[in-house]
Amino acid sequence: MRPQVILHSLGYLTQAAGVTIAVSFAGILLGFALGASVCAARVSRSPWAQRLGGVYVSIFRGVPLLVLLLFIYYFLARVGLDVPALVAAVGGLALASGAYQAEILRGALNAVPRGQTEAAVALGFTSPEIWRRVLMPQMLRISVPPLINEFILLIKASSLVSVVGIAELTRVSMNIASMTYRPLEAYIGGGLFYLAINLVLAGFGALAERRLAAGSAR
Amino acid sequence: MSFDVLLRYLPSLLSGFGVTVLCWSVGGALGMAVGFAVALLVRLPVPPLRWLLRAFVEIIRGTPFLLQLFLLYAGGPYLGLRLSATVAGVLGLALYSSAYFAEIFRGGFASVPRGQIEAATSVGMSPFDTLVRVSMPAALIAAVPPIVNLLIILSKETVVLSIITVPELMYQVQTMAAETFTAFDAIFAMAIFYWLLVEVVSRLGRRAEDRVTAYLAPEGARA
Amino acid sequence: MIAVRGVRKRFGEHEVLRGVDLSVARSEVVCLIGPSGSGKSTLLRCVNFLEAYDSGEIRIDGYLIGYEDTGGKRRSMSGRKLRDMRREIGMVFQHFNLWPHMTALRNVAEPLLRVRGLPTAEATERARAMLARVGLADRAEAFPSHLSGGQQQRVAIARALAMQPRLMLFDEPTSALDPELVGEVLEVMRSLAAEGMTMLIVTHEMGFAAHVADRIAFIDQGRILDDGPPREVFHESREPRVREFLQTYHDRNSF
Repeated sequence: MRPQVILHSLGYLTQAAGVTIAVSFAGILLGFALGASVCAARVSRSPWAQRLGGVYVSIFRGVPLLVLLLFIYYFLARVGLDVPALVAAVGGLALASGAYQAEILRGALNAVPRGQTEAAVALGFTSPEIWRRVLMPQMLRISVPPLINEFILLIKASSLVSVVGIAELTRVSMNIASMTYRPLEAYIGGGLFYLAINLVLAGFGALAERRLAAGSAR
Repeated sequence: MSFDVLLRYLPSLLSGFGVTVLCWSVGGALGMAVGFAVALLVRLPVPPLRWLLRAFVEIIRGTPFLLQLFLLYAGGPYLGLRLSATVAGVLGLALYSSAYFAEIFRGGFASVPRGQIEAATSVGMSPFDTLVRVSMPAALIAAVPPIVNLLIILSKETVVLSIITVPELMYQVQTMAAETFTAFDAIFAMAIFYWLLVEVVSRLGRRAEDRVTAYLAPEGARA
Repeated sequence: MIAVRGVRKRFGEHEVLRGVDLSVARSEVVCLIGPSGSGKSTLLRCVNFLEAYDSGEIRIDGYLIGYEDTGGKRRSMSGRKLRDMRREIGMVFQHFNLWPHMTALRNVAEPLLRVRGLPTAEATERARAMLARVGLADRAEAFPSHLSGGQQQRVAIARALAMQPRLMLFDEPTSALDPELVGEVLEVMRSLAAEGMTMLIVTHEMGFAAHVADRIAFIDQGRILDDGPPREVFHESREPRVREFLQTYHDRNSF
């Protein structure tokens, strides 16, 4: 084992870590937009919207991410759109994450005690007011820990975009491995960076959970 | 994509599917066994062991599956393990899932109501009997839904094995696509196939879950 | 049979038991009453050492429980000895604590099989007899989730009884039951008392206590404030705190 390999490639790995974080962050933001829309569709009163939302969740949770990424890649080639691999990668991550976030948000919405809505109705609040003042704040509060968890999952899932050539942590680890003929050190190095990122995120998650739970002490 | 192309490749596709099922089942079973062992061992009052096991679980859950596969397959020889792609794939799945199974079983044990354990203690049951007769059955039943969920996730992870050239379904599809220049159609078919597979297995899984947890209504249920 | 002397226990900063003295003679039925937080459940759980008391002594038939009887420095009792002592003490919990994955019959037979080491046939037979004793012979094959609260508690009593304990501890046995189910459980307890079982019961059921108990012990803030026959404690207590506590019961019921 030669730990110097990791030390020498620190620059590459750090840069790659940045790419991993950026790609995942973009994925989760877009995914949130998608997920929120799908969630809205699923809880709306239109049966069509509900069904469409349900199909979206079913498809993008059922199809493996790798298959999805390659599908987007070949689809864009087939249709003739010259889209940079990065955009395709982020798009794929966003579509997949959107499905999971839709379910997280829906679960959070259901977790808001029904009694609160009933109380608001009894007091004479209008529907939009109930949504803005009662449901949404609580829903967002409840969904922060699982969303942070989703971010961690996305960081790990982003390793798959290495197959479309994006220079994130996994791809760069591969490059280092083939350049130095020391795969162990290369992949352990990459792994350490992933662990560091995820440990920090997990820390945020724990902090967020504590802060947000404090306000809801029963 | 013409029908006779599909027919020509049917044997290799079927073999690929067989490899997928093999990797998934063996990897999953191994992972479950190791995960259960970890969940039991971590209860022992031996601090260094508990630390080691917890670190193991955290490392595996904190790093991508693909990275772990590369480490096993490409890095294995440097540790003295010359693994074939399929063996590396199965071991990778087993190792990866074991950490998640360990967490599931740990959660199962934690969910056993303390009162049931106190009832066993108060009647003089040994710790071993309490574990085997009271804690384990309850923990295992509680673990069924997350286990079903994890097994479904695992079935999707098998496609990643294609990247280290394990001849499972995805690999065969991509080979076929490359040889016949039908990349888009092939991937599209693959997507539909997996979507349907996961949908069907999820429904079956949920029914199995309901059957197992049916008779475990909340304690003190008023008839 | 139970001798509690000078027992103290604290949970962190909070001292729950502050020097408790209590004794229960053979075949006596003693009811422990008091406000919530007074320490009554904690005291009960110290008797079979489900909770460890910090100082003082608890003796069952003369044997110290929880610690080695060395007189000098306090040493924890070995796990095996503790289990042996617990075999002789039956406990019934507020929330029944039946094992949900076993039928009523299995629940009762399991301790006989695992702890007393009886052969299956004998254990099953004794279990059936116990279930009949509490009036549930026809529900032997039912799972706890299919039984009412009162039925579950009766199974729990059968489970404790089957071990043929020397004494039985009851921790608010009817507090978790719907009012109309309380009667069937009290009836079983009444018959147990009539048969001469030594019982220490933490309860809010004053009517039951008044008619079945040989003695009532009132505990508040970790100390026994009054201890005597029901007539004395309920109607003639000299302790103002006791009278204050019982006032609401007097107002609502006459017994």
